Amino acid sequence: MWATMTQCTDRCKRQISFPVTIEELFAVQEQQPEARIMAGGTDLLVALRHGPQDTRPIICLERIEELRRIDELPDNSVSIGAAVTFGSIVRSPLLKARYSLLTQAASTVGGPAIRNMASIGGNIVTASPAADSLPALYLLDAQLELRSTTGSRTMAIAEFMLGPRRTLLQPGEIISRIILPPAQDWSIQLFEKVGRRKSLAIAVASLAAMLRLAADGTVVEARFAWGSVGPTVLRCPAAEALLKGQPLSEAVLTEAAALVQDAVSPIDDIRASADYRRTVAGNLLLRLVA
Amino acid sequence: MNASALKIGTSHPRGDAVAKAAGTERYAADLYPQGCLWAGAVRSHQACGRIISIDTTAAAALPGVVKVLTAADVVASNRQGIIHKDMPVLCDDLVRYCGDPLALVLAETKEALQRGMSAVQLQLEPLPGLFDLDSALAADAPLIHEDKPGNLLAQASICKGTGLDGFDACSVVVEGSFSTPVQAHAFLETESGVARLEEDGGLLMEVSTQSPFRDRFEISHALGIPWGKIRIVAPSLGGGFGGKDGATVQCLLGLAAQHADGRWVRMQWDREESFKAGYKRHACRMEYKLGAAADGTLQALHAKLWYDTGAYAHLGAEVMELGMEHAGGPYRIPHTLIEGWCVYTNNPTAGAMRAFGVCQATFGFESMMDLLAAKLGMDPLELRLKNALVRGDENCAGMRLTTSTGIKTCLEQLQQHPFWQDREVWKAASPAYKKRGIGLASVFNAAGYGGGVRDAATAKIELTPEGTFLIHNAVTDMGQGNSSAFLQIAGHILSQDASRVLLKQPDTRTAYPSGSSSAGRTTYTFGKALITATEELKARLLNWAGMILFLQDNDGLELQPGRVLHQPSQKEVSLVALAGYMQPEERVCLGQYVAPTCKEVPPTAKGFFIGFPHVIFGYGAHLVRLEVDSLTGQLTVCDYLAVTDGGRVLNPGMFDQQVQGGVAQGLGYALMEDFTVRDGVVKTPDFATYLIPGSLDIPEIISIAAQGEPEETGPFGMKGIGEVAMNGPLPAVANAVADACGVRLCHGPLTPQRVLAGVKG
Amino acid sequence: MTIRFNLNSIPTECDCPSDRRVIDLLREDLGLTGSKEGCGTGECGACTILVDGVPKLACLMLAAQLEGTQVETVEALQQTDQGRALMTAFAEEGAVQCGYCIPGMEMASLALLRQEEPLNREQIKEGLSGNLCRCTGYVKIVDAVERAVQECCKI
Repeated sequence: MWATMTQCTDRCKRQISFPVTIEELFAVQEQQPEARIMAGGTDLLVALRHGPQDTRPIICLERIEELRRIDELPDNSVSIGAAVTFGSIVRSPLLKARYSLLTQAASTVGGPAIRNMASIGGNIVTASPAADSLPALYLLDAQLELRSTTGSRTMAIAEFMLGPRRTLLQPGEIISRIILPPAQDWSIQLFEKVGRRKSLAIAVASLAAMLRLAADGTVVEARFAWGSVGPTVLRCPAAEALLKGQPLSEAVLTEAAALVQDAVSPIDDIRASADYRRTVAGNLLLRLVA
Repeated sequence: MNASALKIGTSHPRGDAVAKAAGTERYAADLYPQGCLWAGAVRSHQACGRIISIDTTAAAALPGVVKVLTAADVVASNRQGIIHKDMPVLCDDLVRYCGDPLALVLAETKEALQRGMSAVQLQLEPLPGLFDLDSALAADAPLIHEDKPGNLLAQASICKGTGLDGFDACSVVVEGSFSTPVQAHAFLETESGVARLEEDGGLLMEVSTQSPFRDRFEISHALGIPWGKIRIVAPSLGGGFGGKDGATVQCLLGLAAQHADGRWVRMQWDREESFKAGYKRHACRMEYKLGAAADGTLQALHAKLWYDTGAYAHLGAEVMELGMEHAGGPYRIPHTLIEGWCVYTNNPTAGAMRAFGVCQATFGFESMMDLLAAKLGMDPLELRLKNALVRGDENCAGMRLTTSTGIKTCLEQLQQHPFWQDREVWKAASPAYKKRGIGLASVFNAAGYGGGVRDAATAKIELTPEGTFLIHNAVTDMGQGNSSAFLQIAGHILSQDASRVLLKQPDTRTAYPSGSSSAGRTTYTFGKALITATEELKARLLNWAGMILFLQDNDGLELQPGRVLHQPSQKEVSLVALAGYMQPEERVCLGQYVAPTCKEVPPTAKGFFIGFPHVIFGYGAHLVRLEVDSLTGQLTVCDYLAVTDGGRVLNPGMFDQQVQGGVAQGLGYALMEDFTVRDGVVKTPDFATYLIPGSLDIPEIISIAAQGEPEETGPFGMKGIGEVAMNGPLPAVANAVADACGVRLCHGPLTPQRVLAGVKG
Repeated sequence: MTIRFNLNSIPTECDCPSDRRVIDLLREDLGLTGSKEGCGTGECGACTILVDGVPKLACLMLAAQLEGTQVETVEALQQTDQGRALMTAFAEEGAVQCGYCIPGMEMASLALLRQEEPLNREQIKEGLSGNLCRCTGYVKIVDAVERAVQECCKI
């Protein structure tokens, strides 16, 4: 049985393409240099709803198999295709076992259906100060593979991000993969997002933390990254250095929190004040001894 | 036969649940009549201004655009409003808020409509806007409506006993200032409907509305269509909560239909338009002073309440009046002075929303009770119990309570609950960096329209030729389940099972005027009318059965599912057969009811227009257990307990639905909902910025029915409880935060930022 | 453009603009009004459908994305044991008030049922955390899903 719909009255406003390989993608892009790239569509389609009339073509990444895979590479690093959704990340046993920081962060994105649509590549390219995956990717030393017709290049995520909605992505270039270097043996991996409700929330502040502790409990190495408290992800080397060689305690974390509160540069907006973000950015460190 | 009769007091599944679960229920938003036109309003981007010109030429010339209408196309008053008709259908001179409609576009498709709307050229001369109470009340403030001096929609006062002199005898006095935010109804089905002009010039409209009968008058007044020629059909609503009481799309749709050459026109506001142009809960500022004797006996109250009603009246005055009537809580206070001001501003229009006026005042009053308990060194529950109203007392507005008054029972049942008994043990088990607190609130909410308004309903029930019963509902079901209660009432009286009692949602052509679905009066008033109608029909059926079975009287005759049975002889006659014997008019019964209202406004009250005072109240005692995160200020509500006095419970499952839903909406109000407007511009125009609670934000909500007395005046002893639960969460949460960390928060919502700022000092 | 996909087990062919929103395609063109639009921006979940078995939001999808997929909407619930169990549980547990969020809730719940794992209330709430309800306070919705999970795990 075939159900056939009636003719729509308004005709196609724009072209939408579904390349299945990256090569095909570049071929389409060459013909439609003005085209928008769409991975999950959760940002783009909302922007199109609110924005002025925009009839630029759309090129969808969702059918490019290569961009949808999570692979372990021979050197034990792990490659995540740019169009991999947060849902796939949350459900990946490999990522959960080795990079639980990313799993935790991915599970705070939107709600379940949004996670089944929104992609990690989109989260990076959108470059929102509140992007949930970025603090974790910073701490995991994620490398981005950028592809264009002229070839590919790789750079660290921290280098790639310039500021709110600004990255080093060149016209004609896409993020193809996110490569996580071989997992190290961290004692603690913790991600906490502070939003104004417990799901479907935009981060008011977030903290990603990874610590390696010695047998006696002293900190061998600490890495911290914050989201939503500056134009892009914020690191605080002084706080990390302060903890080195110390046992984790409320006292030392309170001292580190003060350093963080000096380092952040948050803004006031509808969700929270700069002052609140600053306070919370530091306070979140204390969760390590909760 | 697997057919147990519907029975009052039992949790039968709702009559609409199966269709809604299957996705087959048709809401107004689901109607797309073949070949319909799409209508949309072009709205002002300025909050206050004078119209210089509206140029529709370019828009009208676009392909697919059928008509572009302005105020000049409205032939009658062009004014809508439930009581005060001050709101233009399309603005003709001034715009008074950012979102005021200026033009109406009709187009062949949604896409053409969008293009047409963006092509209308507006020229407005900006005028200085008034965006807060102080600037609107300033002596030199410009007038938002010329006929409203001081920008006051209403001003009233209640002075009881010796008023402020009552403070002279008080041993303890506490004072506090509070504010509450604007709340949006945020029903998931936005304002929507379809309409067309009939061949006889009448208007047919199927629309998401809480007030189908009153809508006819609003449309008629604004557009000049005789109200008798207006037919409104009101399917199930995808939520209402007060926001669909009064005209939303109705007059715009009617105007569109007047210019559509008999074609169907469809209008649905998108979420952003709903936030911008839909009605809201009033923001409120309060100043409280409360005095008591040394033993905790309340003596004197002074409350001042200012409500921001936005650009137009809607029910603003009535909202303020109801807030004032509840401003002293469900307690005995011999001396009170309660003052209220309802103020026009250039903010979006505030109107009716669940527990209107009351949930604002409850925040103030129940916070004051905890402040007073702390100052007296008294247990906050003891203080409430000591002063709780009982039948025969005079309430804070000077009304003697003559109906069921169950607040004391609610508080006593709460006192016995493990959450209260074990509170210290629970609090002591706080995890690291969390502080636990327990908060209480006593709540009450009037039911019914109140003084000066006829609160009446006319119910209609018929025996169909198929031997089933059909109720013609006249009061919209916005989700609260009144239509299921009606099925249960009729099924109970007629001893019929669910498959034999059907219900038709309101249609002004086949049902009778019964007022709006609001004010905790929906099930109460129509239910009483339905009992009358159904009992008359039952009497007719028994009479007919008796004639057919040659019985001299009704002894031993009883209705059973599908039949009337004579028990002694086991002779029976089926309802189908009875329907065949009866004349069509004989198979239809009407019943009417006028709810009790108070005719004598106490002399203590001044400035009240209509809707005051009330004689029936629902009551409740609420308890919340929560954790404050001392690192982030986030609140986690762990448990919620609500004991509610709604008289006799007709359907325990649906009773719990209303309580749980009211509590959840109240928790949203307490924790996160904050409709933000800056200089007249809405900063929270969507669900990404206006947050309502999700499944992880709401705890298990335990609902317990008070073991009190039935409400003698109500159908089977019930009284309305759709609103009362909304009042508890904000004060209860504030009291719990104070209990947890000693910080008294006086401004809602209690956001992590406010909590943390309080904790930091 | 012509789009072919399987809609509630029925092979379906549509001629529509490729960038038509899936929610409009379902409701306006195909007359399947069970899926609701509450916000249009992916914040409320009322338009949740399953695409190739995965919950997605029909307001943030373009018609062309459906090409070759299996789409399930609330209208398909009656076709399966799990779907019927869900509908019955929602109706009988009192999970339904105004009902506007319910189709989306049920589709999100169906995806949970298909995991064929026992779920506690917290996990159910997590699974429904992308679906807003304004009427119920969620308690009875969680009751309903809990019951459906128990019934379906027994089978």
